Amino acid sequence: MTDITKDAIAPPRSFLSQDAIQLFYRLLAALLICAVLAVLSDSFLSLGNILNVLRQASLTFFIASGLTLVVLTAGLDLSVGANVALSACIAGTVIHKTGSPALGILTGLACGGIVGLLNGIMVTALRIPSFIATYGMLWVLNGLTYWYMAGETLHGFPTGFRQIGSGYLFGLPIPIYLLLVFLGIGTFFAQRTIWGQEIYAIGANPVAARLSGIPVARRLMLVYAVSGTMAGLASIIFLSRLNSAEADIGESLTLPAIAAVLIGGTSLFGGVGTVFGTFIGALILTLVLNGMNLLSVSANWQPLVTGVIVILAVWLDMKTRRRTQ
Amino acid sequence: MKRKLGYMTLPLLMAAAFTTQANADGETIAVFTKNQTNPFFQTVRVGADNMAKSLNAKTLQYIPTKPDSIPEQLSQIEDVVVKKPSAIVFTPVDYKAMVPGVEKINEAKIPVVNITDRSAGGKFLSFVGADDYSLGLETARFLLKSLGGKGNIVIIEGVKGSLTNVDRVRGFNDALKEAPGAKLLASQPGNYQRLQALQVMENLMQSNSQIDGVLAANDAMAVGAIEALDGANRKAQVIGINGTKEAIDAIKSGKLLASGDYNGFAQGCLGTMMAIRSLRSQPVINEIVLKPTVITKDNYQPFNVPLEQRTCPTFEDAGKLSAK
Repeated sequence: MTDITKDAIAPPRSFLSQDAIQLFYRLLAALLICAVLAVLSDSFLSLGNILNVLRQASLTFFIASGLTLVVLTAGLDLSVGANVALSACIAGTVIHKTGSPALGILTGLACGGIVGLLNGIMVTALRIPSFIATYGMLWVLNGLTYWYMAGETLHGFPTGFRQIGSGYLFGLPIPIYLLLVFLGIGTFFAQRTIWGQEIYAIGANPVAARLSGIPVARRLMLVYAVSGTMAGLASIIFLSRLNSAEADIGESLTLPAIAAVLIGGTSLFGGVGTVFGTFIGALILTLVLNGMNLLSVSANWQPLVTGVIVILAVWLDMKTRRRTQ
Repeated sequence: MKRKLGYMTLPLLMAAAFTTQANADGETIAVFTKNQTNPFFQTVRVGADNMAKSLNAKTLQYIPTKPDSIPEQLSQIEDVVVKKPSAIVFTPVDYKAMVPGVEKINEAKIPVVNITDRSAGGKFLSFVGADDYSLGLETARFLLKSLGGKGNIVIIEGVKGSLTNVDRVRGFNDALKEAPGAKLLASQPGNYQRLQALQVMENLMQSNSQIDGVLAANDAMAVGAIEALDGANRKAQVIGINGTKEAIDAIKSGKLLASGDYNGFAQGCLGTMMAIRSLRSQPVINEIVLKPTVITKDNYQPFNVPLEQRTCPTFEDAGKLSAK
């Protein structure tokens, strides 16, 4: 039985190399944007700006990395942004009340994780489609956060805590180290562990996955919990970087995270995609906004340009995917 | 549909709870605001509650659970028409889209006062609000004055196309035209979000080595810009709009130069006052457009008082506050 399971879930060689080709195209797209911006703006290639872009991309990446696993299983987590908002508000309160950043960080991660677990329970035990379950959760979380904050904002956190989001280590912003760590963990987990491969298998064909002995429900539970915990992590970075929390931060975080996953080449139909691709997706979104700010593109045109880039990126993806298959 | 019923039940329950407690002498004023997220509307609601209490009436708050949701406010209007409060104090979530809703209230013959955003249609017994254009103009003038009429300026805009943003940014730009020594480096969108404003500011600092002044269309974005400046060890004078508690703290500590305030508390007070006065057949003022206050280090004290302890203006004050 064990052997059969292994055979069923071990990805054929061509599968991984197809991902590699997709990643190559994506990197190429990112580099192309960089090249164009470098020509148009003198300040784009400065070290300061490159660090700037990476730090800005990190927050979207943290949210999107956990979300990638969910999308790999052909699911979606629409509650991530609302989860960040609630986790940030609760973690912020804990830090204010207890004066302990450590306790606040743990609370934020736990809050995010619990929300994720609840999503997982709805999707597996109650068999609610993930789109609906997490959409419902989005409302529940918004409601809780708005009620809890009652139009107030939390602000002012200890200097030590602020280092996580705003500090530097050996000249590099700390969020960039975290970005590299979680990029490594995410890639290793998805590509090199049995659990990771089982998640691909579930996304590719849930029935086959179940028949070959993969505990589908438990793995799904895991991916939603991980997605929630990453939202919890993002909430800590947010608090520490912005020095404040308010109830309405979620809405502006969800769609960029989903966009990063999709631009990164993860298929909404499941089974195809990488965490590294998601990083490139977050990078492309950040580069576009960074470039438009550097070039002082009119505020009127910015949403339009962002929209066109997102559509182009996904279209190119579909095109290259068909060719390589 | 089920979900919709879900969020409709909260006001219904509140209404039910209220009707059982209601005294014969106290009117019920239904207060409609746009969301629970903008601190401005919290000040409006506290002002309305404060005034109602002092006049021995009661308020019933209607707030869309999804911020600024047009369908939700419409369904809340349907609720309120059935419940028939004595009067309504109304902020449309969208000044054009809510006109049919206002017409429903008019058909139900419930007296209604318009506050904050001026409705594009419908019959109101009074309007109490402020003017976003002069808010932008006055705050920007203050910034330019403190910079000696010169310097490199950036504008961080709110949500493109929203009425508040259009008017505030127009005010900023007109003030800049009055100062030929000032140079507008960029006008970029932060969508009223502090994270987006922080990132916009970080990006702008990369391509502009000297930024002297930042005009942000709300306080959250102003604070985001300040975080970005602090992070890069750079200094600029920053102004915001709204007079939030956070902004007052930042003004106190010298991080924020000023914040424009259009007195949500007074809007809540006066809107409720006009509604109750008309119910009691007392004279009302048909239009009160409040003058903006530029809150600075010199005059922040009255804004530093907790909302619950602030006092509403009297009817005589209202006459003086009214620009028309």
